[in-house]
Amino acid sequence: MEEEAKRRRREVGSRVLDKVGEVISAIKTAKHVDQVICSLHSLAVLLFPLDPSLISGSLDEGYREQVLNANIPSAEEREEWWQAFYRGAAFPTLARVLLFDVASNWLPCFPYSAKERVYDAFFVSGLSTEVVQILVPCLQPNGNDNLDVNAVQSNSERLLLLCFLENDGVVQMAREFGSAHQSSDFTSAQLKPVLSRVAQIVASIPDKARPKASTSLSSHFFFKHITLQLLDEVQERVKNLPKEAIFNESGSDVTMLFVGETFSRICRRGFSDVLLGEVIPQVLGDVQWCLSSCSDPATEEVFEANPRSQFWLRMMEAINDSYAVERMSEQLLHQLAIEQATNIEAYWTLWILFNRVIKNQPSVRSMFVYKFLLWKVFPICCLRWIIQFAVLECPPVANSLTKGCDAHVLLDTVQRLVAAWSKREFVQSAPVEQQAYVTAAIGLCMELMSKEELDKSKDVMHSILQGVSCRLESPTHLIRKMASNIALVFSKVIDPKNPLYLDDSCIDETIDWEFGLTKPEKRALPSSNENDEAKTLTISEPEKDLNYSRNNGIGRNNKGENKKASQFKLVDPDEIIDPATLNYGSASDRDEDDEACENSDSSSDSSLQPYDLTDDDTDLQKKFTQLVDVVGALRKSDDADGVERALDVAEKLVRASPDELTYVVGDLARTLVQVRCSDLAVEGEEESVEEKRQRALIALLVTCPFQSLDTLNKLLYSPNVDVSQRIMILDIMTEAAQELANAKSMKPKHQSTVLISTISENQPWFLPSSSGPPGAGAWKEVSETGTLLNYSNRYERELPPKPGQIRKGKTRRWSLRTPNMQENQLEWTQNKFPIYAAAFMLPAMQGFDKKRHGVDLLGRDFIVLGKLIYMLGTCMRCASMHPEASALAPPLLDMLRSREICHHKEVYVRKAVLFAASSILVSLHPSYVASAITEGNLEVSKGLEWIRLWALDIVESDVDKECYMMAMSCLQLHAEMALQASRAIETAETTFKAKNVGLPSILSKGTIRIPFSNVEY
Amino acid sequence: MSKRRPPPDPVAVLRGHRAPIMDVCFHSSKPILFTGSTDGELRIWDTLQHRTMSSSWVHSAAHGIITVANSPVIGIDKVISQGRDGTVKLWDIKEGGLPRVPALTIKTNSYHFCKLSLVKKPYTNLRQDKAPFHEHEEDLETVDANILYDREGNHKEDSVECSGTFEEDSIDGPKFVAIAGEQSSEVEIWDLNTAERISRLSHSCFGGSPSISTDKRGMCMAVQGYLPTESQGFVYVLAGYEDGSMLWWDMRNPGVPLTSVKFHTEPVLSLCIDGLCKGGISGAADDKIGLFSLDLSTASCVIKKEIILERPGISGTSIRADGKIAATAGWDHRVRIYNYRKGNALAILKYHHATCNAVSYSSDCKLMASASEDTTVALWELYPPQS
Repeated sequence: MEEEAKRRRREVGSRVLDKVGEVISAIKTAKHVDQVICSLHSLAVLLFPLDPSLISGSLDEGYREQVLNANIPSAEEREEWWQAFYRGAAFPTLARVLLFDVASNWLPCFPYSAKERVYDAFFVSGLSTEVVQILVPCLQPNGNDNLDVNAVQSNSERLLLLCFLENDGVVQMAREFGSAHQSSDFTSAQLKPVLSRVAQIVASIPDKARPKASTSLSSHFFFKHITLQLLDEVQERVKNLPKEAIFNESGSDVTMLFVGETFSRICRRGFSDVLLGEVIPQVLGDVQWCLSSCSDPATEEVFEANPRSQFWLRMMEAINDSYAVERMSEQLLHQLAIEQATNIEAYWTLWILFNRVIKNQPSVRSMFVYKFLLWKVFPICCLRWIIQFAVLECPPVANSLTKGCDAHVLLDTVQRLVAAWSKREFVQSAPVEQQAYVTAAIGLCMELMSKEELDKSKDVMHSILQGVSCRLESPTHLIRKMASNIALVFSKVIDPKNPLYLDDSCIDETIDWEFGLTKPEKRALPSSNENDEAKTLTISEPEKDLNYSRNNGIGRNNKGENKKASQFKLVDPDEIIDPATLNYGSASDRDEDDEACENSDSSSDSSLQPYDLTDDDTDLQKKFTQLVDVVGALRKSDDADGVERALDVAEKLVRASPDELTYVVGDLARTLVQVRCSDLAVEGEEESVEEKRQRALIALLVTCPFQSLDTLNKLLYSPNVDVSQRIMILDIMTEAAQELANAKSMKPKHQSTVLISTISENQPWFLPSSSGPPGAGAWKEVSETGTLLNYSNRYERELPPKPGQIRKGKTRRWSLRTPNMQENQLEWTQNKFPIYAAAFMLPAMQGFDKKRHGVDLLGRDFIVLGKLIYMLGTCMRCASMHPEASALAPPLLDMLRSREICHHKEVYVRKAVLFAASSILVSLHPSYVASAITEGNLEVSKGLEWIRLWALDIVESDVDKECYMMAMSCLQLHAEMALQASRAIETAETTFKAKNVGLPSILSKGTIRIPFSNVEY
Repeated sequence: MSKRRPPPDPVAVLRGHRAPIMDVCFHSSKPILFTGSTDGELRIWDTLQHRTMSSSWVHSAAHGIITVANSPVIGIDKVISQGRDGTVKLWDIKEGGLPRVPALTIKTNSYHFCKLSLVKKPYTNLRQDKAPFHEHEEDLETVDANILYDREGNHKEDSVECSGTFEEDSIDGPKFVAIAGEQSSEVEIWDLNTAERISRLSHSCFGGSPSISTDKRGMCMAVQGYLPTESQGFVYVLAGYEDGSMLWWDMRNPGVPLTSVKFHTEPVLSLCIDGLCKGGISGAADDKIGLFSLDLSTASCVIKKEIILERPGISGTSIRADGKIAATAGWDHRVRIYNYRKGNALAILKYHHATCNAVSYSSDCKLMASASEDTTVALWELYPPQS
């Protein structure tokens, strides 16, 4: 029997091949489209049930005969032929001819009916798995044949649309695989490669289609359809399967495998959102149905019993590609968050999809408890779901995290998270969002732990403390906040009654684990608005009353004086008037009278009315009027009041700039830096004391820059000051630099007196000479009326008063200076800073890289380093466009360029370097840059080029968003500077040319790159 | 209740001293003010023109003056200065200025902080004459003390008597001065006429009440001598000591004090007896001011009222001649005015910006002077007597 079947099959196969060969040769030799149709029809009739009359209408007489006379085989015969045709080599051979030759040469001439019946039929009604393998490569034909590529492509696309979108191609494929497996022609092991190849081909269709192909072939649309079709099909199958088959876990369903394979391919192509967009509503629907069907808290059994949930389980099992699983689950979580699923819904959704996979596949488990907690960043609600599902492993109760009985996973997870969290590298290198996420994960987990559990592993406590302490040092508020939140949770676990608040701001009970990073989405809830309105309406009534009664109260208080007036003013007829209150005023009057009587008892004392006896002791505190006293008082650290008062007056005294200042500058600066503000101030007033101290120091720096800088620079790297003092020194230097830069001072204008008098003055010859005392006005002709002709022109001008001559005016001014003098001979000068710039910057730049006792800027004290660089940047800005800036830029650039600084591990430092770099760019005068390049000043030109390259590097590689932004703006500044400089060079060039002086050849040594143009200087 | 008036400002401020002023004293009849400073300078001021009339370094700059005193008892044109160099000098200012040489120098050999006290005589009701004070200036030479201390219809017999004796005394009677002595726990009484020590009042040589140990009293810090009408010319002395106690002596019985009381817990720094010599006021280094009454017949000193201060330290007290108000000079830079009869506070005068060392009322009750370490003297007009 077996033999017989095989033999027969072989026989049919050879006949099919013969026939195909016949048809192909007929097509090749055909002279008329009808010949092609006829030959195709002769084959089609053998394979498909076909009504010849439908196509005959469009054919010529002779061919019509031929078509109509074709003998129609029986159904069994057709089935035999069909199988032989598609499973053998016949179809590929014919398909190639059809797709290339016929498509390009004959197809446009096909009448519609013929096209549909004898051409499309080969593909649409064929074995989809084979068809797709042939069709898809034709989307990208290699153009070696002399074919109409365009026609071939568009035809293939048309056919694909037909197969997949109109005829449920994937469903057919799934069925074909299913039946192939059932018919045990192939084992699943044999099927698998085929299966994955087909899935791969299917998923690649949208990418292979031409961009101008119909939108139905666009990835989004195409995958959506495929997903829908597959889901429908598989669910249909599951529904139709007998119950036993559903729970028969061993039978791996090939259909399911195909579905899984296809889904994973879709995910791989990056369209998990499309996929999940279809899957989630269905799963959620199932979950909600299950939840509503049982009134009690849902248990796993309820879901186990539901066949649909079984389907989801299997589907996830079928997806073997771990990458796809990851993409899917990520997408799932995000979309659930968008859909605002409740905790319970989300948990069961996760459970339905992943509960078996997470048990069976360690990779999935690690994905959830490791990757999703440590490496990815989800919204906080997703984090809760992940923890509930993967860590706590039990259904949640009433929308909050619920702890199951088994805690070892929780403990493990916390341990792992904390270990990563506590590392300094993590603080330095991880983006803020991720840090916040991991912190939240730890916090949420730890909230559920008990002290005993925490005690079980010593590492956890240690790591927490380590992590908290290294975060508390961070210059970023957010990171410190993370530390304090974790510390709070930790302390609550250790001792719930005694929570530890490291930060004043987190007093409220619930901790904001989102750290304000995610902006709350504004949801349009019109109903709630209405409620609010209603609420305000109801509130406003009593409020009015309140105001009213308050007014009344005031009125009552005033009644003693304007009793009568208020009686007329009574508005409220219901007001209860207390006679006592009405009498209050007069009663008090009487009291006073009594007192007066008492006073007048002893008539002799009547004049002894006491004065105001209030007294305060503000004047008693010792006032400092000498800076020496201030220094002395500041040194007495045990006399807190004295120190505070000294600080009060210090700034004023320094600003007065007395003669003694120069002698005490050093001492004063040192003592001011070393005063311990926190020790002496009253609780809560440390800020103001600190402020005063800093104001005083700034005043000192401004009034006496050189001497005080001398001291401060020594202190900056002295081992005797701590980090906070170093930071303060840098802060005040920054502020003092800014103040100096903004200072306005009046100075006598430099009168440019002409040293060599020229004969050819730029005034008409007939005017008298302009020489004269400085400040003399211009000559004006005296206008004389009366005579038309006057031979002598008279001129007059205003002269400044002679020394000794006092001009008397009508108004008295207490000034010896004439207003004229003020206007002409004084000018406002701005920016006193440049002369001090070197003193500010150079000493501070000297010792930054030396590691000494208590000084380690590059390592531990990175905040000081950041502040230092920021200070230097500010100084550059303050001196910008002055020659000093150009002089100081090269050493600063040198410092910035050193590897330890520009590639510092801490974001804070890198930000400061970016600031300083952009300050340099801003502060250099374009002409200086230009001259540096033309004269071959390599230091500057290389430094500037380095800024560009380094900023580019930061833009590309830095984890921190702010760094990225700053680097971008730095690049922009560089571009602007380059443009300005190039303009300056151009003008220089023209002048050079005009003077017939060639540009120096070393011009080429320096380079400035101007982005977006290829000009290079 | 209406808001009280703000305390007044001084009517004049006398500037000129170069060192903290230790004591201030009005002339008993002329518009003249004496001040002594810690650098030994004695200044005489015209209180009408607010100018310095005369100035001289009467004691060495290193020691300085602690007291200046003037009283009709020692003569109208005399002023006494006590330095911390152990001398008391009497100056004759007849010529309107300070002479180079003092009229008298007593070497007391006492080097302490206690201000000497001239002997005070009671005057019943010193009401100023209808004539304004400055008119007296013109007839400086002619005006008799009688006119000044002329009293109105309600004067008593004894005060007439007293006035009589006063005039004699001022010329040739014994001019007593009470000073904390060479032994700082003793009070010595000196006669200015003879420059001799009359008596030594020492609490250490009496067996006194066992409750107060004699050793514990310590130095004498304040002294006030007076001549009650009943005493037939014998001086009574009130002395305050370091431990806060006060002793009341009768000069006739130097061995045993009449009584001893202790109002204060810290050294008594100043004592002042009112015009009737029936009571007085005491200031101390603690935060209390005591108003006490003295009854000679029962030899009792009773505290009438204790005023508690916000900030401790009263270095000088003064009762106005009419006995209505009293002033205190505080370490807290304030001058406080009290109703002497009732003891209630009347004003807190804030002007000085350093410790106040002394206050003094003019005998016409119109002016008050306060002396301070800030080297200024402030003149005040508060509650002028109604005439």
